[in-house]
Amino acid sequence: MSDNNLNEAQKRVGVYVCHCGGNISDVVDIKKIVDEISKYHSVVVARDYVFMCSSNGQSLIEDDIKNMGINRIVVAACMPSLHELTFRNAIQRAGLNPYLYEHINIREQVSWVHKDNPQGATSKAILLIKAGVEKVLMQDPLNAIRVNAEHRVLIIGGGISGMRAAVSSADNGIEVVIVEKEKKLGGKLNRDGYVYPSDEKAVDIVNKFSKKILSNPLIKVYTESEIINIGGYVGNFDIKIKKTDGDIDNIKAGSIIVATGFDHYMPYDGEYGYKKSDYVLRLKEFIELLSKSDGLEFVFKGKKINSIGFIHCVGSRQNEGIDAPQADGKVNEYCSRVCCTSGIYTMNKLKEKFPDVNVYDVYADIRTYGMESESLYEIASKHDVIFFRRPLDERPQITFEGDKIKITTTDILSFNERLEMEVDMLVLLTGMKPSEIDDISGYLKLSKSTNRFLQEVHPKLRPVEMNINGVFAAGTSLSPMDITESLQSAQTAAMKSAILLSNPDIPLDPFVAVVDEERCTGCGRCVEECLYSGAVTITEKTIDGNIKKVAYVNPAMCKGCGACVAVCSERAIDLNGSRLSQFEAMIDAIVKE
Amino acid sequence: MKEINIDVAVIGSGIAGLEASLDVADAGYKVALIEKSPSIGGRMISLSKVFPTLDCASCITTPKMAAVSHHPFINMMTYTEVREIKKNDDGFDLYAIKKPRYINEGECISCKKCEEVCPVYIEDDFEHELSPKKAISIPFTNAVPQLPVLDMNKCIRCGACARICPKDCIDYLQKAEEIHIKAHSVIISTGYDITPMNAKKEYNAISIPNVISPLQMERLLAPHGPYGKVIRPSDGKIPESIAYVQCAGSRDKSIGVPYCSRVCCMYAIKQAMLLSGSLPLADITIYYMDIRAFGKGYEEFYSEARAMGINFVKAKVARITADEKGSPVLRIEHQEEASKPKEIKHDLVVLSQGMIPAVRDFLGLDLEINEYGFVSSRDKTLNPSQTNIDGVFVCGVARGPKDIPDTIADAGSAAVSAVNYIKSIKGKSL
Repeated sequence: MSDNNLNEAQKRVGVYVCHCGGNISDVVDIKKIVDEISKYHSVVVARDYVFMCSSNGQSLIEDDIKNMGINRIVVAACMPSLHELTFRNAIQRAGLNPYLYEHINIREQVSWVHKDNPQGATSKAILLIKAGVEKVLMQDPLNAIRVNAEHRVLIIGGGISGMRAAVSSADNGIEVVIVEKEKKLGGKLNRDGYVYPSDEKAVDIVNKFSKKILSNPLIKVYTESEIINIGGYVGNFDIKIKKTDGDIDNIKAGSIIVATGFDHYMPYDGEYGYKKSDYVLRLKEFIELLSKSDGLEFVFKGKKINSIGFIHCVGSRQNEGIDAPQADGKVNEYCSRVCCTSGIYTMNKLKEKFPDVNVYDVYADIRTYGMESESLYEIASKHDVIFFRRPLDERPQITFEGDKIKITTTDILSFNERLEMEVDMLVLLTGMKPSEIDDISGYLKLSKSTNRFLQEVHPKLRPVEMNINGVFAAGTSLSPMDITESLQSAQTAAMKSAILLSNPDIPLDPFVAVVDEERCTGCGRCVEECLYSGAVTITEKTIDGNIKKVAYVNPAMCKGCGACVAVCSERAIDLNGSRLSQFEAMIDAIVKE
Repeated sequence: MKEINIDVAVIGSGIAGLEASLDVADAGYKVALIEKSPSIGGRMISLSKVFPTLDCASCITTPKMAAVSHHPFINMMTYTEVREIKKNDDGFDLYAIKKPRYINEGECISCKKCEEVCPVYIEDDFEHELSPKKAISIPFTNAVPQLPVLDMNKCIRCGACARICPKDCIDYLQKAEEIHIKAHSVIISTGYDITPMNAKKEYNAISIPNVISPLQMERLLAPHGPYGKVIRPSDGKIPESIAYVQCAGSRDKSIGVPYCSRVCCMYAIKQAMLLSGSLPLADITIYYMDIRAFGKGYEEFYSEARAMGINFVKAKVARITADEKGSPVLRIEHQEEASKPKEIKHDLVVLSQGMIPAVRDFLGLDLEINEYGFVSSRDKTLNPSQTNIDGVFVCGVARGPKDIPDTIADAGSAAVSAVNYIKSIKGKSL
């Protein structure tokens, strides 16, 4: 494109202001913005629309590019991470370089935070847009960086999500490497007993997948193996795998699916009597015990079990000040989603085997969401499981009297009566917490949510994508899920990874550091500062016949963070798309008024 | 008959169908996205904001709609109804009818002049009958495509639209068009209806105007909704006290919906939060059985709602009547206090209706559905998207109630299943 050679007078800016329904226009005065911005230098047209991201809104921009010769675009709307790409695509469709565009956030940074001061908000929006105009005027056309991609996916974790993602990826024709730390595939499903919603033996599900995986020549499985490093970038990740025998395999992968799953919440000693008595069990322990118990009577360690209490929300839905904090000082505020249903499913299994055992269930809300689960709840009621509903901010008290366990709780269902019941056994419906994956998330620099599970880019727009390009997450590494939900999520991750690898080369944003080799002194401070090892290095180059040390940026590895720019005393390194001179022009525009 | 050859036919263009189509097309396969309504976007495009992030629904949906309409591999077929689906050795034959909009679609420039001059007002289904629209009109602001539809049953044939149209594209005699779509695979994403307002007779929802549906409340809360503010339908009064009746269409055998619809707790909480933003002085009460805030960030959202002062009352509403001013009166029994049944008056009541399948008859396709009409999975613990028929996949609420994040996660699952299925059959034929 010949755009590089345009003089100032030939640069024609179009500014597009979005109402975002009312998200923006309820606070800021859109008409005033448009009036004022249309008078600003170089601005040829300023328009507003109720939803600029809609088809109509995008057409406004495309038509102006085609009909009015607009060649610089400023969109003032929501945060760029939502729709920057939407507008870039529209601009490209109209035949303009998609990077001749600046996205100004007047929602999160203006209307949402200045609701109390509409006038001030409007002035701020105008200033930010003017700054955007200055920036886009100094913007050069850029081209996406293209990198070759390995047609191979690394799947970390061989539980149900990892196995599903592996089969879906291989069915798509992509080579798969699964790395599992345990001896065999299957993760948490390698246990005794049955699972909802299919009422199958847990291990039968593992076997269904194992057969498919082990017979598939595209899938390589590493068990009892550990990932000891991940380097590289999208399309070209370098992975070091330490095998059982201590040997290290190096593999390359184009994309990564993190399917590291969950750990069971482990009650601290004494939490609801855990470890204070052999008869206080976690649900997982109880399921295994039940599947081994047969006969007419339920006997455990020599004691006949006539009554069992179940406590919901152990390690989940915790409140600060009521529950003891976790290792990081925070409580687990989240709901673990599966414990109500798996608990009630297990109570039904118990009642089918030992109908005479009395079951008492202490809960806050019964969350048997979905079709099949609600019927399990009904069946439990028919089995005469007795439900006690505690207030949200109260916990049942557990005491031991002889060989009995006493549960004391307030019961809302009997009009807040204080109840005491004695049982022979207590089962804690413990929740989920994310697996310990600080190593993996460290190598890949993955974001975590406030609940410590992995943080997706956006729960609705990009629910399985991580903040690092080419890395996806599946199943309970993202949040608590049941088996079916994990399978869905794993297949969606496999789909996104397959789409990424469906082209031989992957386009990357060109917002990377560039070196002015004349100015560069080769001091290496940028290398010290760089967060992405290998993205910037010092090399020797022949410039005007002299050998000179200069910084070299690998555009595929550079994330465009700008740390190097900040430390360079020579102003020899700069960022494509966000040059220092552009920031200076923006600041000038803001302080001028 | 027009014939179209594609890889995957996606039936239903709500958020599930949009997502599945984009995934399949991005993977390099050709899609026909078939939608019976005049615009794609389904239910989600009519919502206000969505939990738990409170993004505006349009901000999420409109770009996806635009992406679908621009995608070179997606044939967007709106206002088109599938009449018959046949499985054959090669895949599937879908016979569809493209209904007449009574305009020349190729010529229309979406200028809306026809809409402006039309003298006939009809009920606006997009606004759930809260406001009128013209007999010829573009379905809603963000509709894709931006083409008006003439309601021939209401049209008085005055000819005003035909006279004003600058492109002369009104065609009163337009006929439905038959289309034959040949596909290798089918994705069912037909979504949901909500349980009928009159499902529970005790709630008298049809005869009390100030008892409304949650979808109507979504429109009242939407910034570009029918009135631009929350007022109650009977007299335009700004409500000072608003109540939500939970499980008004779910977990209730008496209306044939014993299952939990999974979304009602959260949408009620979300609407309550939005209401306390737009009506800071209003009292908002949610009458519930269990609060099911089970998704990522939902429990935190529920805590936030309690902190904002929204009243959560554990009680099943037995009956709704109206006082002389039309205000609904709820008869409830508190479960947290030892008391007799009480009657409590509110200005406006929202029935938290549940989800039922929008489509139960798959037109010649021998698709297995469960007793409630949702499409069954062949093996839930192997591939939930796979139906009993090879090559037919299902996603979103067509398979069972789901919220938006779960639906989006489900769409990719159906998409990869369809893509891999096509790869497998093409591999065999080589």
